[in-house]
Amino acid sequence: MPLKEKFSQGHLAENLVTFTNLLRKEGITISTAETMDAFSALQQIEISDREDFKTALQAALIKNRRDHDCFNHLFDYFFAPPEIRNREEHKAAIYKKEYEAGLDRAVRELTFKGESLALSPAELAQYNNMTSDQRERLQAFMHKTETGVNVEERFRPILETVVKSHLRYCRTNQNREQHENKNSDGDYLGDVPGGSGSGSGSGRAALSEVDIQAITAGELPEAEQLLQRLSKKLAVQILRRRRTGPRSGPIDLRRSLRDNMRYGGIIFKLKHRPKRRNREQIVLLCDVSASMKQYSTFVLQFMHGLRESVRDLSCFSFSDNLENITPELKKRGGLQQLLDRVIRCSDTWGGGTNIGLSVRALMDKYPDLLGGRTSVIVVSDTRTISLDSAVKELSKLGDRVKRIVWLNPLPREQWSEYRSVESVSKLVEMWPCNTIAQLEAVLSGRL
Amino acid sequence: MTVTLPELKKGFEGTGYICDESTALTVYLTLQLQKPLLIEGAPGVGKTEMGKVLAEILQTDLIRLQCYEGLDETKALYEWNYQRQLLRIQMNRNLEDGQVKEEDLFSKQYLMERPLLKAIQAEERPVLLIDEVDKCDPEFEAFLFEVLSDFQVSIPELGTIRAHQIPVVVLTSNNERELSDGLKRRCLYLYLDFPTVEDEVQIIKAKVPAAADRLAWDMARVVARLRRAGDLRKKPSIAETLDWARALVALDRNRLDGKVAGETLNLVLKTRADQEYFNEEIGPEGIEKILRQGKDGGEATRCR
Repeated sequence: MPLKEKFSQGHLAENLVTFTNLLRKEGITISTAETMDAFSALQQIEISDREDFKTALQAALIKNRRDHDCFNHLFDYFFAPPEIRNREEHKAAIYKKEYEAGLDRAVRELTFKGESLALSPAELAQYNNMTSDQRERLQAFMHKTETGVNVEERFRPILETVVKSHLRYCRTNQNREQHENKNSDGDYLGDVPGGSGSGSGSGRAALSEVDIQAITAGELPEAEQLLQRLSKKLAVQILRRRRTGPRSGPIDLRRSLRDNMRYGGIIFKLKHRPKRRNREQIVLLCDVSASMKQYSTFVLQFMHGLRESVRDLSCFSFSDNLENITPELKKRGGLQQLLDRVIRCSDTWGGGTNIGLSVRALMDKYPDLLGGRTSVIVVSDTRTISLDSAVKELSKLGDRVKRIVWLNPLPREQWSEYRSVESVSKLVEMWPCNTIAQLEAVLSGRL
Repeated sequence: MTVTLPELKKGFEGTGYICDESTALTVYLTLQLQKPLLIEGAPGVGKTEMGKVLAEILQTDLIRLQCYEGLDETKALYEWNYQRQLLRIQMNRNLEDGQVKEEDLFSKQYLMERPLLKAIQAEERPVLLIDEVDKCDPEFEAFLFEVLSDFQVSIPELGTIRAHQIPVVVLTSNNERELSDGLKRRCLYLYLDFPTVEDEVQIIKAKVPAAADRLAWDMARVVARLRRAGDLRKKPSIAETLDWARALVALDRNRLDGKVAGETLNLVLKTRADQEYFNEEIGPEGIEKILRQGKDGGEATRCR
């Protein structure tokens, strides 16, 4: 059988290793033992049957359902008929060439006094992604700066900072659009056979890994369903009856003696007192300023699913003022009604942000909620007016409660760019929370 | 106990376990490679049933270990029978040479075998079903994957006991928590989804032969619709569908309508919130609509 011969010659082995490397580059963890399992599995089947071949590889290599889509995409590409593969490779080569040419152009065009600005490849790529109008506007600004009166070399760092900020601004704005355009082929194939190296794991198909801000209107129903599923799962975990472990608390001498009377008073089995579990009070503060709207909506949806499991839960929305939305959350009815009610009734929804004022209001108006068994969860990107006052109030709040957990929707790699993040993170336990998966991971560890 | 793939498929058919080709192939590979099979999926899709069915197909013993929080080695692997040891000591006191040797007390007759040790010591290759592994503690999970990789156990007083036969191991998980990479690495993986309408009809007919064709189709469509409803707290499982089918057969029904469905739906919707959701959002009229759509072929057959 020709395929079997190939197998023994090692062609298939080579392909399999390349394929597993490709999966690894997409963020799927595959050990050597699993690759060997896949190999053994292939020996047990008729490998000319494409579906059996795929099933065998999937069973041995993919151990998480959310990676199935990524696997399917890569499998269809990698083990594609030669003509399709050649076509895709040709497309990938063109894309790569264009990308490199774009970077060269960015280096040539973003200059000051004849020398290129110190920009990272990601920033150069961002310049390349901008529309021609945006690029022309940026160049016009740079030209104006360069040719201004008394402009010297020492202006270079200032210009670099301005250009970087502008590129960052454009990236944020384009995020949603890019996300929509990024079809699954482009996502998974990249520069295959080298792989795109995005490390996205389940890639575009896994909505839980996508930046919440980048979730499009079309994907919202699916994202909401996902949130509901996750919050239900978490609710089950929270409500699960805890069986007392055999050695949980201190020894209960009285029960030990009584239980061991049957052995003639010889103590064989020690009995322990169960540990006391203090019920935790959760205070959730959601930043509902314009930039945070979508994140906060998602967090509220998540908390809506947990409202019956977490008994002592109080929810507040804040922007430049604080508003108690707990009664709205606890009311019966669908989620959409809740969001409608919150948005309709709320004075704070979509405003600017003043964290200091809001935290002050929480301490003044709701002192009963704050105590040694209270965990405050704040959902905010930390961007606020009067940062110093915010830091001062947060420090006071920190002294009054058990802990403050901060869910920051800014990706961790951007934290160093913001002074507010730096200041606030010294006072609180801060976690990145810009995807549904991160939101679930952080909340499940803390509720 | 070697089975070929066609034999395995036939076995599934014979036991009334309806599954697709890829599921059968994954199980076949598990048997051939002698690796544990980790099955994940929503509650009620037939994960535990797979272990039972495998034991039936392979005509071997099923050894079941139900996992729960706090499960430890003494409940899963072995424990010394302290009471019996104590009795032995006390009985020997009355004899002339009242001394009891330590090795006598720690011999196999005082060893209480728990499921894992029982599976390792079995003479014939058994099916070891480790159910709801996601409910056990991470420490126990770590211990488990050591046992599953070597299939041997060291008992300090007795030495190392090696498996006579590597058991067929089936682990199930409801995915309530992420299992460790170590455990996953040692297993082949199978995700079971709720069946399609067509498959569910086959399941109903296999398990409740008295159910009329029309009734089976109607029920399968309604259950698939209920499973698609995002607001349900608990989706109806296959076992619950079968209970419902048995109940309707007992009521001498050969088709479903909105009224009957509304009256008997407490067999599949088991929380008050879900029943309220049904009454508010779907109701008997909704059921009639689903049945009409199904009849016209206007409904998607996969439940999610």
